[in-house]
Amino acid sequence: MMKKIFLPMLLLLIIPSLSYALTADEIVERSNLAYYYAGDDGRADLNMRITDRRGRVRIREMTLLRKDIKDGGRQKFYVYFKKPSDVSRMVFMVWKQVKGDDDRWLYIPAIDLVKRIASSDKRSSFAGGVFTYEDVSGRRTSDDTHELLDDEQYNGKAVYVVKNSPKDTGEVEFSYYIARIDKKTFLPVKGEYYDKSGKLYRTISVDKTGLVDGIPTVLQATAENLSRGMKTTIEFKDVAYNVGIKERIFRERYLRRPPKEVKR
Amino acid sequence: MILHKIVEKSLNHPKSVVIIYALLTVIFLLQFSKISIDTDPENMLYNDEPARVAHREFKEEFALHDSIVVGVVDNTSPDGVFTADTLNRISDITKEIAVIDGVIAYDLISPTTTDDIEGSGGVLTIEPLMKGAVKGSSGALAIRDAALANPILKDMLVSGDGKAVAINVPIRQKQESYRISSEIEKIIKGHMGSEEYHITGLPVAEDTFGVEMFRQMALSAPLAGLIIFLLMLFFFRRVSLIISPMIVAMLSIIWVMGLLIGAGYKVHIMSSMIPIFLMPISVVDSIHILSEFFDEYRGGTGRKETFIKVFDKLMTPMLYTSITSTVGFASLALTPIPPVRVFGLFVALGIMLAWFFTLTFIPAFTMLMPERFLAGLVKKAGAGETKVGQDGLMRRAQEALGYLSLRRSRLVLIATLIIIAFSAYGISLMVVNDNPVYWFNKNHKIRVADRVLNQHFGGTYMAYLVLNGKTAGLVKKPETMRYIENLQRHLGTLEVVGKTTSIVDVVKKIGFELRDRKEGSAIIPRTSSAIAQYLFLYEMSGDPEDLYHLVDPDYKKAAIWVHLKRGDNMDMKSVMKSTEDYLLSNPPPPGMRAEWAGLTYINVVWQDKMVSGMRSALIGSFVMVLIIMVILFRSIFWGLISMVPLTVTIALIYGLVGWTGKSYDMPIAVLSSLTLGLSVDFAIHLVERTRQIYREKQNWTVTIEGIFDEPVRAIMRNAVVIALGFTPLLFAPLMPYKTVGVFMAAIMAVSALVTLVVLPSIMVVLKKRLKA
Repeated sequence: MMKKIFLPMLLLLIIPSLSYALTADEIVERSNLAYYYAGDDGRADLNMRITDRRGRVRIREMTLLRKDIKDGGRQKFYVYFKKPSDVSRMVFMVWKQVKGDDDRWLYIPAIDLVKRIASSDKRSSFAGGVFTYEDVSGRRTSDDTHELLDDEQYNGKAVYVVKNSPKDTGEVEFSYYIARIDKKTFLPVKGEYYDKSGKLYRTISVDKTGLVDGIPTVLQATAENLSRGMKTTIEFKDVAYNVGIKERIFRERYLRRPPKEVKR
Repeated sequence: MILHKIVEKSLNHPKSVVIIYALLTVIFLLQFSKISIDTDPENMLYNDEPARVAHREFKEEFALHDSIVVGVVDNTSPDGVFTADTLNRISDITKEIAVIDGVIAYDLISPTTTDDIEGSGGVLTIEPLMKGAVKGSSGALAIRDAALANPILKDMLVSGDGKAVAINVPIRQKQESYRISSEIEKIIKGHMGSEEYHITGLPVAEDTFGVEMFRQMALSAPLAGLIIFLLMLFFFRRVSLIISPMIVAMLSIIWVMGLLIGAGYKVHIMSSMIPIFLMPISVVDSIHILSEFFDEYRGGTGRKETFIKVFDKLMTPMLYTSITSTVGFASLALTPIPPVRVFGLFVALGIMLAWFFTLTFIPAFTMLMPERFLAGLVKKAGAGETKVGQDGLMRRAQEALGYLSLRRSRLVLIATLIIIAFSAYGISLMVVNDNPVYWFNKNHKIRVADRVLNQHFGGTYMAYLVLNGKTAGLVKKPETMRYIENLQRHLGTLEVVGKTTSIVDVVKKIGFELRDRKEGSAIIPRTSSAIAQYLFLYEMSGDPEDLYHLVDPDYKKAAIWVHLKRGDNMDMKSVMKSTEDYLLSNPPPPGMRAEWAGLTYINVVWQDKMVSGMRSALIGSFVMVLIIMVILFRSIFWGLISMVPLTVTIALIYGLVGWTGKSYDMPIAVLSSLTLGLSVDFAIHLVERTRQIYREKQNWTVTIEGIFDEPVRAIMRNAVVIALGFTPLLFAPLMPYKTVGVFMAAIMAVSALVTLVVLPSIMVVLKKRLKA
């Protein structure tokens, strides 16, 4: 008799926890790995299109190289600019750290100068568009607390809805953001950022994904700044993983003499 | 004649007249609820005015917003606001300001939000001046020094003397600046230290002005009404005599304002003065009618007959004085300034309404008055001479005027000529200038803030010189950069310019910091690719949109920000003139054109339009009035004579404006129409009476002496009523109202004097050749 009552009760307890098998922290962690740490290294050509509130368009083209030192940990990035032509050969290099500020360098070919750039602000614009450094290189999962709000169907995909609130509110311009994460691929689908007065002011949407070397990959994403009326779309072309990028190219002298991987 | 029929009809159906007016007045009163205020100086130009369209387009293109400036100064500390405590308070205040609804947080210029560039030890740092809490005085002073080393921030964010900070708060809607600035004040109250906060900026001034204007309209006009009422009570001693003229004034004001608001016009500073202008003008006609009525009326049932007799006598002069005043104001429609047009046309309409009310309402109302109210008056009037004796001062003044014009007529005329010469010279000295901040009294908090901020900083009044090129990337060329640099250097030599900023300053600053602040490295790079790469560096590290307040994304256009210390139009004009000369001898790079934008520039545009517009309005109305006078008197001679008082008055008033150094601004400009309308009234009455007396006496000497009795008294009374009626304006906290008050009194005094002394003197001198 006891068993007959006990079993359905047990089931009632188990079933919901089955669908929420992962905790918010786990979801965010897996998403971080899927999006920012695919393969051991990677390369891509980025076509960036910045449209401002008046519909004026700026184009940026660059090649991005990435080397993971440790999955979910340190990474190195090499961004080689091709367009607009007057900034071609400029290089931006980042050593992403686990603690403290990242290291950044910029090479200015017109005066043949490599400069270290100190900026603790990872929320500033990447290459003049709406995407921030963090959008491109990943935000430390430990900087936020994560809360799983829901799971739902979004644009035909089953997604997790996670609310991320910064631990240090003084460091960032948003008060929280809602991320929708694809349950299958763990790639982000949509990010919605709310400002300090609680208004939605910025969104990021993944427009196109595909499989590259069997790895689910974002092929196009759009960031929009609603208060400024600005939009930026990045198209990822010629994506490749595990191409054998050497760690030594992420050095000052390679800024002046770009490695072969950027020239594919 | 039809007008007399109208009077008769009103006399026969007094009740219906009063009821119809009461109903219509209620309808017009109901319109008042729709009132909306317009204090935007941009509206001095039509919305589709090319300069304004270009200005709007410029603001949109360079993402420039109207902004509120919060200046922070601390005179109690040797380092000014650069102490840790004060800076931390400023940081807290900024955070709270950023979330006020309507504030454009991302364009806020403040120590915690605005990036500074600093290069040292091979590292380039691009970060807000202030990050996190400031510790100790060394931390505070380091922030000051960093800002002073940044030519873009110096004199804008941090004062050149290193003592003060100014937060620039851009807002979405300038109509909201009063609300936002009140919220800022509230925030500041929660964080007070030893420092002072000053809130200013053009939108605040405008919006505050609108709020004060409401108060003024509710206060000044009724107060003027009260004073006019009391004065008339003093002259006529009977409430029952003056009550209906007061009602006529109220009716004209309510109808006109109701029509204006109902027609969808916004109440501008100019139209807010309509009631004050209408009040005395509309009282005057009805007073004439009534005093004549009570002179004639002998009680009993003869009211109707008396009125018909009175109107027989006064209909023509009344019609003509009303028409001339109307012409004076309607001529303002010849100016291309929309608020001035609306003002002129509606005052003109009000004058004609008041005239019509005098024809209809005054007889109707008097018919309805119980006999006992009139009885007292009749007795008083019957007492005759005592009424004159009552005001001894008036009597003596009358005698003195008579003496001057009768016995010293040649002297009077010579003195008049001297005065005209004196005035002509004064007019040549006249300075055309306006500045919305001067609309407030000297010790108004907005004026104080304006003074303090412009004493510390480069200037809160912005003009923008836009170099407009055709090919993309033109601005990135070293030649263009050097041209801009030189142009800025030239602008910097002008005394009224406190600071200039352009993309060149950004490029030079980046170059300087890239070379670790090596001496001589704050220069324009030699190649456009270096310039492009410096700027790209900024886009990669700071807020890229910062740049697009100075250039367009295609680098076809560059805007030089010119900070002016004062918002005076004459200052901006001198900058424009000097720039024009510079551009002529130093033409811009091929394919580039220089154009001005900014509110200070817009102000100059409408001011120029106003000056030329007022000239044609004045000339136009002068000619019109002269023609009307010639028709009225059926004599060119008398027509010309009657133009003398207004000519002398206008000359003298503007001469005085020139001599005293008072600026010729908007309120002063419209005064000429008022003078025209009111001075000619005096002349009409005088000339008309003179000719009436002559027709009886057929002797000029007797006639001219006769003028110095009742006609002169009536004119003097009117002049005093109108002049003193404007005195409440002297206590207004808004300068344009004050100006009008002062000049009104002066205009009345001068034109009455000229009418009463100069006209008779001319008659005396030309006695032999006069024809009635």
